[in-house]
Amino acid sequence: MKPLRLPSARPGLADVAILCLLGGVIATVVAFAREFEAPFAQAVRIDLRPAALPRYTLYSLSRGVLALVISYLFALGFGWAAAKSRAAERLLLPLLDILQSIPVLGFLPGLVLGLMSLFPTRNVGLELAAILMIFTAQAWNLALSFYNSLKALPPQLRDACKVAGWPPGRTFRQLEVPAAAQGLVWNGMLSMAGGWFFLMVNEAFRLGNRDYRLPGIGSYMSVALDQGNLRAAGLAITAMVVMIVCVDQLLWRPLVVWVEKFRLDESGDGGPAPSSWVLEFLRRARLPRGAAVFQRRAYRRARRAARPLERPFRAVGPIILRGPRFAFEHPVPRMVGVGLAIVAVAAAAALGAWRLWLLLAQLGWAEWAKLVSSAALTFARVMGAVILSTAWALPAGVVIGRSPRIARALQPVIQVVASFPAPMLFPLVILLFERISIGLGLGAVALMVLAGQWYILFNVISAVAAIPQQLKDATAAFRLPRWRRWRALYLPAAAPALVMGWVTAAGGAWNGSIVAEYIEAGGALRTTKGLGSLISEATADANFPLLAGGIALMSLIVVGWNRIVWRSLMEWARTRFGYAQ
Amino acid sequence: MTPGTVLLEAQHVTQRFRLPNGQNLEALRDVSLAVREQEVVALVGPSGCGKSTLLRLFAGLARPVEGKVLYRGQSLDGVLGAAAMVFQSFALLPWLTVAENVAMGLEARGVYGPARRDAVARAINLVGLDGFEQAYPKELSGGMKQRVGFARALAVAPEILLMDEPFGALDPLTAENLRSQVVDLWRDPATGVNTLVIVTHSVEEAVFLAGRIVVFGSNPGHVREEMTNPLPYPRQERSPEFEEMVDRLHAILTATLLPEPAPAAPQRLVPFPRVHVSEVTGLLDHLLTRPDGKGPVFELAEDLGVDYDRMSAVVRAAEQLGWVTTPGEIVQLTAAGREVMAMDDAARKDVTRARLAKQPLFARLVAMLKEGEGAVEDEEVLADLTIYFPFIPAESLFATLVEWGRYAELVDHDADAGRLMLLGWEGAAEARVE
Repeated sequence: MKPLRLPSARPGLADVAILCLLGGVIATVVAFAREFEAPFAQAVRIDLRPAALPRYTLYSLSRGVLALVISYLFALGFGWAAAKSRAAERLLLPLLDILQSIPVLGFLPGLVLGLMSLFPTRNVGLELAAILMIFTAQAWNLALSFYNSLKALPPQLRDACKVAGWPPGRTFRQLEVPAAAQGLVWNGMLSMAGGWFFLMVNEAFRLGNRDYRLPGIGSYMSVALDQGNLRAAGLAITAMVVMIVCVDQLLWRPLVVWVEKFRLDESGDGGPAPSSWVLEFLRRARLPRGAAVFQRRAYRRARRAARPLERPFRAVGPIILRGPRFAFEHPVPRMVGVGLAIVAVAAAAALGAWRLWLLLAQLGWAEWAKLVSSAALTFARVMGAVILSTAWALPAGVVIGRSPRIARALQPVIQVVASFPAPMLFPLVILLFERISIGLGLGAVALMVLAGQWYILFNVISAVAAIPQQLKDATAAFRLPRWRRWRALYLPAAAPALVMGWVTAAGGAWNGSIVAEYIEAGGALRTTKGLGSLISEATADANFPLLAGGIALMSLIVVGWNRIVWRSLMEWARTRFGYAQ
Repeated sequence: MTPGTVLLEAQHVTQRFRLPNGQNLEALRDVSLAVREQEVVALVGPSGCGKSTLLRLFAGLARPVEGKVLYRGQSLDGVLGAAAMVFQSFALLPWLTVAENVAMGLEARGVYGPARRDAVARAINLVGLDGFEQAYPKELSGGMKQRVGFARALAVAPEILLMDEPFGALDPLTAENLRSQVVDLWRDPATGVNTLVIVTHSVEEAVFLAGRIVVFGSNPGHVREEMTNPLPYPRQERSPEFEEMVDRLHAILTATLLPEPAPAAPQRLVPFPRVHVSEVTGLLDHLLTRPDGKGPVFELAEDLGVDYDRMSAVVRAAEQLGWVTTPGEIVQLTAAGREVMAMDDAARKDVTRARLAKQPLFARLVAMLKEGEGAVEDEEVLADLTIYFPFIPAESLFATLVEWGRYAELVDHDADAGRLMLLGWEGAAEARVE
């Protein structure tokens, strides 16, 4: 139906580049599959020569990408279910809220042991555990983004698809997913960055007296640090930065530009349209278009071949569907179904609670006291980290967000820096602190700042950048002095976003505490009292009751604090400082 | 053209929605309406009278809570395949081209390959969009977009075309142009469309298009009156017959929008219209400029550039305050109205306060406030409003009360604490300090 605008006749440089890239991807997939299938080796020897680094980097990248694919699939299913069924919504949204705020790292030991027992002889178990751990850091915001997009879809578009007679599958493919595409891509970027956070722990960790290690850039780093090989550590950090920049330029930028097509509101935000040299380059290529034509032809041929089957299927379809439809629409079967679902969910929840209780019951008073006092210490550190982060990120964010020029210049740099997994820097920072004799007790606060500060900065930048020009003009026209301008306009306008930033930054700091209070660097272990180090220690000693207690306590504090303090603060900031009248 | 057999029929249909705040909104109550073959039916009425809801029921996009919707005597089960729909907001998928948008409904009707291409080309040709097949909606103007909307509906050669304020989002010139094309399309046997149902806000539009005009009343939505329009097509908008028809419809609508108060009715709680103070003074200002300080409500709406149900709400508010009377569809400035316009701001506020204190709803609010020692929680007032006016969103009524109360310096609202306070009440000052 579309007349083809043919590009230049001969395959050009772009086509060669695409072929090379394709070759690279295939080679990576094959190598990674082989590593998957390899016989189980508890702690692979990590080759610290620089030449081995690219391979390790690709392994880690493959895990991240695979986890992201799983996260996307999960998000589509989860978001769809929550948006379509009110009962599911009531159950799934609070669940999501809890899942995204609890320290998932604590589940690593259980996951590893479970998957290892499933695949005792191959590497699959360990690999899957690592991938699932990355998944747990990526999935939740994607699911929430898809759910929100579905909820925000204009009802007339839905009606138009229904009137056109589209079946649900087609509406999903051609309306719901495209409408959510922008959010999914932007959140995919965040997820990918979040997934790297625990890279080192995921690839190399100790459980009881056993050492688990997977080949990857994270384990490379941890071995380098164990041996005190700072040159190799520096190389690993460089490789990580190169990988982040490459993924940003080759994957995310083109995607961000491409999904502009799926914008629902037509009013551009006024800023210059984002551009991507990679996408420009690819658009010049002949190969993708050829592939598209080929695919369309193949699809049409398949369609034609299937046509004779269609008529009988259309006749039989409603008859087959009669049963399920009856079950869905008739009140009695529906009630039975809902009842069964509720019973199943309740049973699962009860079983989980019982198991947890059995574990927690093994803890004595002394241990609980230790848990609580450690939690208080870590809580103080988290709050300190949030205050410190705000102290620099709030003014910096206002300055950057106020000027489109500075924002444009700094945004890519900040993005890369923010995607860098902070825990990889922890050991180096701690070694530095030891030089100037700052202990881990205080040093951990600085590490937690590293883990959480970016959320505050990003949120403030985008809120300040979104201030209507007329308000800025008004403060300028009335010649408000600088400090008054900040107090009257910039700080209140940033307030709701700042609270949002605090929520995520505090979450990042809690998560970070697990690796910030318990650090191996230069071949020596350093710990300081705190809930994070307690959890890490329990993992290392395979002390499961203590681990469960630590995780449960941390989840309780994080979720409770979110519910009680952050939420009311957010409500207040929104009604008091929101633009909406 | 003589109406034939009944195509679509709503039988005693009632529809309810649950608002996010838990309030139950009755959009339609016991509505019966039949649409016959070859007919053009227009549904008119104030906003919130359920006319769009009825259209969605006809399309099979929703099921009524009570009653039935029939197509050719058969109860509707799911989306009605014989109908196509045109939306006020166009509802085009921005990531599909014009041709792909027009083809949306064809696959489900088993039209593939060359037949599909032909159907798309024919529909695009009918609305005069040739050459724009590969354009994306965002590249088109509003009028062009709605042409795509029509082409998408026509491509499936529907028996019935349902239109939900199809010209509402267009500028007047484009709307007029597209309107006469719709008549042409309906009269053209090649399109296959022989029955139209249109929801509209414009009296002229209804008279221009429809053979039968159904006037809806609101709270809850119901059919007030039907009017047949025998003028021959194509209709001339400047002809005296057309003008007369428009006037007749105006009269019916006025009776719906500005009902004569029942003479011996006891002091009943009536909602205060949701209009701003400045709108009422604007109306009085405008009336002062007219000879004798009066004019028909539709002319006023046109002169002031607001739609007629907004205008009538403003008139009702002015009437409740005693500043205008409404004999028939004429709005007449009263002596009190002239007086209040001659006053300075402070005196005007005093008079408004005195008038509002007599308005039953405000009187009730003041009584509540006195009972509460000069202050009442928002929640309490909202709950009270929901009980008395279940069909009106309580929040917006509340906002109106606060605005008028503040203007008249009768009550004040503390948004942070979430409560209303009575001004001039000795306890009020204390409540404020607290």
